[in-house]
Amino acid sequence: MSRRAVIAGVGHTAFGKFPDRTAWDLEAAAAAAAVADAGLRPADVDGLLTDPGAVQGVLDGITPHFLRLGSQLGLDPTYTGSEILGGAGSVAIVERAALAVEAGLCEACLCVYGDRALSGAGAYGYGRGDEAAFGFFGAAGLHALAARRHMHRYGTRPEHLGEVAIAARAYAARVPHAQKRSVLDMDEYLASDPIVEPLRRLDCCLVSDGAAAVLVTTAERAADAPRPAIPILGHAQAHSLSTYASPDHFDALPAGRCGPAALGRAGLTPADVDVALLYDCFTIVVLLQLEAYGFCKKGESGPFVEGGRIGPGGSLPVNTSGGLLAEGYGGGMLHVIEAVRQLRGDAGDRQVADAEVALVSGHGLGMNTHATLVLGS
Amino acid sequence: MSAAPTPLAPRPDALTRPFWEACRHGRLEASSCADCGHLFLPPGPCCPRCWSPRLTVRALSGNGRVWSFVIYRRTYHPAIPAPYVVALVELDEGPRLISNVVGCAPEEVAIDMPVRVRFEEALGITLPRFEPLGGGGRP
Ligand SMILES: [Zn+2]
Repeated sequence: MSRRAVIAGVGHTAFGKFPDRTAWDLEAAAAAAAVADAGLRPADVDGLLTDPGAVQGVLDGITPHFLRLGSQLGLDPTYTGSEILGGAGSVAIVERAALAVEAGLCEACLCVYGDRALSGAGAYGYGRGDEAAFGFFGAAGLHALAARRHMHRYGTRPEHLGEVAIAARAYAARVPHAQKRSVLDMDEYLASDPIVEPLRRLDCCLVSDGAAAVLVTTAERAADAPRPAIPILGHAQAHSLSTYASPDHFDALPAGRCGPAALGRAGLTPADVDVALLYDCFTIVVLLQLEAYGFCKKGESGPFVEGGRIGPGGSLPVNTSGGLLAEGYGGGMLHVIEAVRQLRGDAGDRQVADAEVALVSGHGLGMNTHATLVLGS
Repeated sequence: MSAAPTPLAPRPDALTRPFWEACRHGRLEASSCADCGHLFLPPGPCCPRCWSPRLTVRALSGNGRVWSFVIYRRTYHPAIPAPYVVALVELDEGPRLISNVVGCAPEEVAIDMPVRVRFEEALGITLPRFEPLGGGGRP
């Protein structure tokens, strides 16, 4: 029988502002929690993959993050590396871990996201090469270009973006560790300061210090794990590296290619997904993904989210832990962890009834990178 | 933000220097593939369509339209105070570039608005910005 990859353990730190902590001790704490959750010991870990986040990774240059963390954890693995895929990095390392354990390159692969983006100054306001001269700063500018197009082409309204922000906060109010636990209403959303029009402050994700980790191993190895191991049923990546030269770069995410590939490998369709954990650096990205993954038709994500459809009690629960908008900026790894909790039935009063299939996405850089996981109970 | 301000001025390298030099002389140019005729920006080491390294430059009309745009309401850098418009401009000949729309109020900018290039000195370099074509609220 072929080796089937599973997520056997999850762990994370609190997310917020921790100026006295380093990214390294946050990552070590998350790693220890994930390994313990899987019922393993540190000596069992023979794979280490890392996503160093924006401040440690993209902005501090490519110091080999895996080497620093591996050294601190005392690991001599048979498989290692770091991914610099922006917000797709965490989902992508879990995918790589699945490939590695299924190929027999390692048995227990630790996947770690960590960063100190809130206490590390100036994280996301950076200019982009020669485009900084035009004042094109930050990820907000890029995503505002996409939001403007969507509004222009399909009549999407600010209230539609607001539905995404409101749903995230409604879920996060049920998450003890969430960074933002107060609920949000539409009036408050609409009164939020414009940052880069058409995006408001409340369209933008949180910035956080924190770390999150999962342990990927084989179903056989996890058979005696203390908690249910969650099979990785499908996975895929798709990217748009040609950026502006591609005529539909801002109109169509690479998720449109990634989703069918990942679901197809799992033998599933969008209708089979019980809970979707969609990368939500900005509210507009959730709308674009609802279309790209086929949860609704192209251009119809605005009306689709009306009336709390993706919020608690809605027909398509999305980002049930509050996501990057409210739970905390976990690089996408917190999305993976929430999927595991939902499929284990561990999600408390935000639990989606009978959740059997979860879809997790990562989206990164200048809307260039995308990765998808399909998990099943 | 306590970090040092982001360096703003473009730093031309061997690939991009001809583009910025042309701007300094009031010309907007794109790279042109000698093999397949593809016209593209930004300049690169080869044609992104056929990978030919045989490249020339071609002068553009400087006319285009706003493909999408945003209005910065928050100042990210003291040298570039908000509000201002950043647009993705699609030139009549096909290439697209990030730039500013100037010469009108931010609220007057619209998707598909025709624009033409207007070279402006800033940050010690000549920047290709765009203004509404055929009037439209010049200050
Ligand atoms: Zn060519």
